[in-house]
Amino acid sequence: MRRFWIFLVLIVFVSYGCQQRVATKPDGQPSGQQQDSSQAQKGSDKIPEQKVASVESKDLSTKAVQEKEGMFKDILFDFDKYDVKDIYKPVLQSVSSWMTKNGSAKLSIEGHCDERGTNEYNLALGDRRAKAVKDSLVSFGVPSSKIDMISYGEEKPLCKEQNEDCWSKNRRAHFVILEKAGK
Amino acid sequence: MKKQFTVICLLLLLFTIHCSLFTVAEAKVYIDITSPGAKKLPIAIFDLEGTSGKEISEIIRDDLTFTGLFIYIDKASYIESVLQSFKPINWTPLGIEAVVKGNVLEEKNLTATITLYDTFEGKEIFKKQYQAEKDLLRQLSHNIANDIYKALTGKSGIFRSKIAFVAEDNGEKSIYIMDWDGHRIKKLGLKGTLVLTPHWSPDSTKIIYSSERGRQWGIFLINFSRMTDKKIFDAKGINMAGDFFPKGDSFVFSSSKDGTPDIFTFNMDDGRVRKITSSYGIDVSPAVSPDGEYIAFVSDRGGSPQVYLMRSDGNEVRRLTFEGSYNTSPSWSPLGDRIVFSGRRGGKNHICIIKPDGSELTQLTEHGNNEDPSFSPDGRYITFSSDRDGTKGVYLMRANGEAQKEITPKGLRAFGPRWSPN
Repeated sequence: MRRFWIFLVLIVFVSYGCQQRVATKPDGQPSGQQQDSSQAQKGSDKIPEQKVASVESKDLSTKAVQEKEGMFKDILFDFDKYDVKDIYKPVLQSVSSWMTKNGSAKLSIEGHCDERGTNEYNLALGDRRAKAVKDSLVSFGVPSSKIDMISYGEEKPLCKEQNEDCWSKNRRAHFVILEKAGK
Repeated sequence: MKKQFTVICLLLLLFTIHCSLFTVAEAKVYIDITSPGAKKLPIAIFDLEGTSGKEISEIIRDDLTFTGLFIYIDKASYIESVLQSFKPINWTPLGIEAVVKGNVLEEKNLTATITLYDTFEGKEIFKKQYQAEKDLLRQLSHNIANDIYKALTGKSGIFRSKIAFVAEDNGEKSIYIMDWDGHRIKKLGLKGTLVLTPHWSPDSTKIIYSSERGRQWGIFLINFSRMTDKKIFDAKGINMAGDFFPKGDSFVFSSSKDGTPDIFTFNMDDGRVRKITSSYGIDVSPAVSPDGEYIAFVSDRGGSPQVYLMRSDGNEVRRLTFEGSYNTSPSWSPLGDRIVFSGRRGGKNHICIIKPDGSELTQLTEHGNNEDPSFSPDGRYITFSSDRDGTKGVYLMRANGEAQKEITPKGLRAFGPRWSPN
């Protein structure tokens, strides 16, 4: 009896040890007998597929603000730079005095880039440009809490040709006045 | 009794050795893909018998030939017909080393029976049956190609992998998913005016991406098993998702929430955010190494955008790229032995590859602007975006720059591709 058990264990062990071989053994049988060790399913390999249905999402944010553009000139930058040049002081001055007169208004500064850089870096660069302009405005006395920033990188070009003239217009900080809607 | 036990133990040991030896002997590698000068393997692939047999065989052929490891021998030169039984003598004079034969039945489902032969040893390498619903013909074919690839190279194929990317339709950007070969493009229906490169979770069940909605950049998570899309992070400024860490429970991102763009980690279990870089300028585009120990990122701390490496905790920062004045978008190879990035050379962005120690810098593209590179799960291919034909599209190439081709349809403005990890 004891020998029988040992024999049984032996059989199980040996067949387990040889399993790999079984999986790749030439099979003369017409079909359905073989299993692949990686996709052990009965009969044949059933091809699984996780169906990708449409993912739907809703934009829940409602536009509670009105946007006013074009009141102030854009501030332009050199390629891959985010320092605000001195020639833009008059623009910054007029923005800051307007903000002082219109105490309830909020200002959004959009940072933009030309198309030559890569997407993510341009978004960071646009962000840095918006921040540089914000910092300047704060130094002119505009409260930091009144200024929002958003970077659009190269995603919203003003001019769409591929030349320096066009690119220089796109490397900009753009001012948008945000006022509460529904007044 | 004790003696008997010893004998049995010995026998067991012998059998085990025997079996493992046998297994090793059977797992012959026909092409050693790890050796650079490996010879291409000439393979014959019959059109399977049955209505959709030709279509299936063409998909298998396209998969295998794109790898650059096989030479497909045209059907015109076959002496044997698909119905005749396999005879090595019909193949060896043509120099063909492997033959694929089979048939496909179309009933309720597709049932394909495939045999792969070794002509020189005159034997079957495998014979297998595959079943799938009729509309999964491409997946069935890719599965067959994966098995043939595995049998001949000893490595797993990538023919069932997917690529996620961003594309624009009527001025609106969305996340899309397609098979690695550009087929079965699926728009996920997420709306946003601005959407950035998606990043896969290590198990390929989730994607994180960044999108601007209502004047704010947020990070969103798509969960494919639950089919949900939700915002998981937002803050003032730009917030751009980077790679997952290998465990899949946290990821890295860049954010300007504290003023200037810096690198942070986000723990998905408790929502905890940890800052790991802090510089006056820009730190952006973090990429996690496959072992999770290192992060490659882009910084302008040296005056121009360059790729840097650091430990995942932010320590031991060192600059990786020195050539060129604009190097961005780093991504790791699955083995962690290469970093691919987009470098500005001669006024255009090109895909470049470098070792993490800074050696062996190679430029892989020549025409147009080439950006957003990412490796295939086996590290043998790279997907990227290029505008070389006018509109930006998603391209593939081998990791040595060979066989560059556009896989998204002409006219679809597509970019930011990321290969699924499996």
